[in-house]
Amino acid sequence: MLKIAVTADGPNLDARVSHRFGTSPYMIFVDPETMTFEAKPNPRAANGSAAGIQLVVLAISKKVDAVLTGFCSPTALGYLSAHEMKVNTGVTGTVADAVEQYHIHIQQQQKGVNFKSDYSKRAAGRAAVVQALNNSANQFTALLPTLVGVVLLIGLFNAFLSTKLITAIFKGNPLLDTFKGAVFGSVFTGNPINSYIIGGQMLEHDISLFAVTAFIVSWVTVGIVQLPAEIAALGKKFALIRNSLYFILSIAIAITTVLVLGLTGEVNF
Amino acid sequence: MGRKGRRLRIFLFPVFLIGIYAILLVFFPEKASVAMGRSGHIFLNLAVPLILVFALMTAVNLFLEPARVTRFLGKDAGLRGVVFSAAAGIISTGPIYAWYPLLKELRERGARISLLFIFLGNRAVKPLLIPVMITYFGWEYVLVLTLFTITASVAAGYLVGHLFKG
Repeated sequence: MLKIAVTADGPNLDARVSHRFGTSPYMIFVDPETMTFEAKPNPRAANGSAAGIQLVVLAISKKVDAVLTGFCSPTALGYLSAHEMKVNTGVTGTVADAVEQYHIHIQQQQKGVNFKSDYSKRAAGRAAVVQALNNSANQFTALLPTLVGVVLLIGLFNAFLSTKLITAIFKGNPLLDTFKGAVFGSVFTGNPINSYIIGGQMLEHDISLFAVTAFIVSWVTVGIVQLPAEIAALGKKFALIRNSLYFILSIAIAITTVLVLGLTGEVNF
Repeated sequence: MGRKGRRLRIFLFPVFLIGIYAILLVFFPEKASVAMGRSGHIFLNLAVPLILVFALMTAVNLFLEPARVTRFLGKDAGLRGVVFSAAAGIISTGPIYAWYPLLKELRERGARISLLFIFLGNRAVKPLLIPVMITYFGWEYVLVLTLFTITASVAAGYLVGHLFKG
């Protein structure tokens, strides 16, 4: 049985199809054979935060075959396609009309031969490359401002702060410094590329590789700032155990990594 | 805060620092020049690795779909499940909180705790950022750290799975 999800401005079949997938107030699930439907509100439609991903999760949980909407972001499109849902964008009119037209289209496809020319395959390939480049550009745009800020901050630290300040925090006791490195990494958050740049600078100030390694491992695996979000999503027990365990592991990984490199002669203690 | 507001917010940090540089250039021109020189040197060192990172990002966006791999998190508790969970964690991109709704959904649909744990642990391995990491720490360090991180996350996943019996 075919199941179609339509983003809608209202909770019934006469409602208009929403212009944007992510901010749609409702998602309506329709059986096109009988036109029976179920409307689910989008709880985050009003504030926009993670609203799109909520609808993606809803569509996945309802095991939908196709999604009809106005505009769909590349991220949401990626998730929906990955779960083998056909996503039709640019859909307008009422929910009932959209479902009927789509149903007719599917029936015609099933009767005829689904033939793809070489030209259309090449066009699809080009579109995929452009989409991949666009996604990379978006990821890069999100990454660069903070990276630029971190590098500018390091420049200031180098010029205005004496190394005494840093050596006052990291005093040269490998175990204690490793612990401190793990604490710093757990508190700070952001793209790991920033932890590598900061870690590289820490090494230049003669801070031990133990501390630097604990810092860059805990930066990604332990998240004090994100803890409330992790508790909300995966439960208090899971989040607390995971973060505590990874804090200890970041120290263990740091010590093991540096000791192994020391044995192979890659680093000197 | 809307999408536009969030996008603008990420520029606050660098713009704030540029403002500080401007003020310092007036009051401490020599030290500010040293700071600018130091930052410029770091940018130069990062240029080539960042180009490689962009190329790797594009390749991953073109050929891999992390969301597709996460489908296996709930299906196979054996070695295949472990490998797919670790692989999904390694190739996953973006901030972790963006993945929470999907992980929550997977857990509610019966995904094993140990596999979710392995997924989250392996997010520490960032193949896309390896060019930058090698620039600062060398390839031997990156190799050893990566191996230990994957091993530790799988071991921790089994341990936690035993604790949760899931």
